[in-house]
Amino acid sequence: MTFVPIDVLVQGGQLFARLEQATASASVVVFKDILPLALIPPIFLYLGSLQFGWQIGAEDVIRLNQATLLMISVCYFLALLLGFIGLAILLRWMAPTYAATLEMSRHLTLVATVATPMVVGSIAHLYPHVFVNMLAIIPVLIWSMFLLYRGLPIVLRTTPQQGMLMASSLIGIVLVAAVTLLGITVVLWTHGFGPSLGL
Amino acid sequence: MPDPNVYNDRVVTVLVVLSLVWAIAGMGAGVFIAAELVWPTIDLGQEWLSYGRLRTLHTNGVIFGFGVSALMATAFYSVQRTSHVPLFAPKLAWFCCIAWNLAVLLGGISLLAGWTSGKEYAELEWPFDIGITIVWLAFAVVFFGTIANRKVKAIYVSNWFYGALIIVIAMLHVVNSMAIPITIGKSYSLFAGAQDAIVQWWYGHNAVGFLLTGGFLGMLYYFLPKHADRPIWSYRLSIVAFWAFTYSYIWAGPHHLHYNAIPEWVQSLGMVMSIILLAPSWATMVNGVMTVAGAWEKLKTDPALKFIVLALAFYGLATFEGPMLSIKSVNVVSHFTDWTVGHVHSGALGWNAMITFGTFYFLVPRLVGAALYSVRLANIHFWLALAGTMLYVLSMWGAGVSQGLLWLSLDELGELSYGFRDIMASMTPYYALRFVAGAIFLSGAILMFYNFVKTMENRTTVVRRIPDVTTARSAVEAVA
Repeated sequence: MTFVPIDVLVQGGQLFARLEQATASASVVVFKDILPLALIPPIFLYLGSLQFGWQIGAEDVIRLNQATLLMISVCYFLALLLGFIGLAILLRWMAPTYAATLEMSRHLTLVATVATPMVVGSIAHLYPHVFVNMLAIIPVLIWSMFLLYRGLPIVLRTTPQQGMLMASSLIGIVLVAAVTLLGITVVLWTHGFGPSLGL
Repeated sequence: MPDPNVYNDRVVTVLVVLSLVWAIAGMGAGVFIAAELVWPTIDLGQEWLSYGRLRTLHTNGVIFGFGVSALMATAFYSVQRTSHVPLFAPKLAWFCCIAWNLAVLLGGISLLAGWTSGKEYAELEWPFDIGITIVWLAFAVVFFGTIANRKVKAIYVSNWFYGALIIVIAMLHVVNSMAIPITIGKSYSLFAGAQDAIVQWWYGHNAVGFLLTGGFLGMLYYFLPKHADRPIWSYRLSIVAFWAFTYSYIWAGPHHLHYNAIPEWVQSLGMVMSIILLAPSWATMVNGVMTVAGAWEKLKTDPALKFIVLALAFYGLATFEGPMLSIKSVNVVSHFTDWTVGHVHSGALGWNAMITFGTFYFLVPRLVGAALYSVRLANIHFWLALAGTMLYVLSMWGAGVSQGLLWLSLDELGELSYGFRDIMASMTPYYALRFVAGAIFLSGAILMFYNFVKTMENRTTVVRRIPDVTTARSAVEAVA
């Protein structure tokens, strides 16, 4: 049995050949790869926030009580889990356009592959200072992009050319989704939900 | 007497090279001022190295030096090929090339010396404004003269966009630059107060619209089908999108002035027209994506097409983010934050620069009749451009949303919780990341420059004969 996150970290050059051979079913991939990946960042966040507190912007260190922290971590876990599965569904929706496989397990495997460097980078949550977390983003994001473009055509069984198009489409959609989330959050703030703003 | 049977491509080559030089200089200035926001003392106490002066050099260098030189080059190249005639008044085309770049160079020096009109993206003082008007008129004469001489009846869609660029920028530039000169280096705008602000952002936003969007769409509509070796997916959609784009863009400027001392209905109108703009913008994106999707085999051999694919993705982001930021209840938080800077750069790096890089990787080998020196370097450039843009956008989203939150936060007494200085001091991590992102993007551009220098080394522009083409339409007309 192979574990995608571990393969990403230790397999190097043979990684994609191994992923190409992967045969697990979709539910197995969810429990074996996606669940642990979604679990790790919230645990790091919980431990780091409990130990050091968050430092965002000009505010003093934010120390939350254990119950609030637990709730935030659980929400973070659920958001990651839904995000990962949502991405796999999105990839599967795009698959016919780019002549890729329709097997859901492979879409989930690709998401797990691309997410692994990000999850490794979330170790920076252990010291929740913005600067440390920003520094961690640089190598992790580049690594994830590399895995996405290189891995997509192999894992989803399409040509490198169509894989390139599909990966770029995914980046476009993810960026638009991210900025939409930011927009919705801000509209909620300006309508009185969340922090008290002088509007 | 120039040969009427060959294209005038030498001026295109020179404009491409000058555009590349401006890319390095302008982006270099950008990276330096990004560093100044992390380490403020690296201006060494020199006024000309200060953020305020170098920032205008950065924007003018990349928009007018890199961007407009690239637009002139590609307009001259494509209008000849879509019209099947050489350039009208080729000497005037050379005048455009040299005078424009001289104006940007001297203008840049004047900005460093502290001359400024204080109008964003229109900082150059009145002597330069007059010079720019003359060069722009010459550009119009060459471009529309070539179209008037055309041997193909239909005017291809790329020429509609380049034509709109020339006409609208002329109109914007002349109206917004109207001023009363006091000395050689100082003038005061003819407009006052709120009217000045409205005219300025009518100019500013439509410079984004018709230069950075429309002009580069002209580039996309010619070079993407050429690259992909197939016609545009829907020509009808491209024409509908052109008119919808031209009509709605011109109203959008007031969204830069939300909650300012201009009539509220003007702000709301600007917001509504900005949201409507999403439709023609995304119609164009769909048209581009579908054109490439049908020609995916070409991606194997062509590193240039990758840049165009990515440019379309970032075009989709920027043209979605823009309307969203124009919504008043989003803008009240995002305005005066680095979110705006991030938005501009997702367009400028992700769309304008990427589409230009892709076009140049296609164009340069064809201009000099040689294969690209190194496809490997071009592929590395692709990765650096992607990483640089992504990190830039992420850092500014982080900085912008934090700023928006912190500017407006109230304490229990109803007072603002944080001072400006404290907030700015807390931005260092984001600004450091932005500096790294910019440096990564710049290093990619330098690789491209080296790649082109090696490709062009000891070569001259190939003379290409104008093919004898009987179009389907003219064949039908001949029979009739």
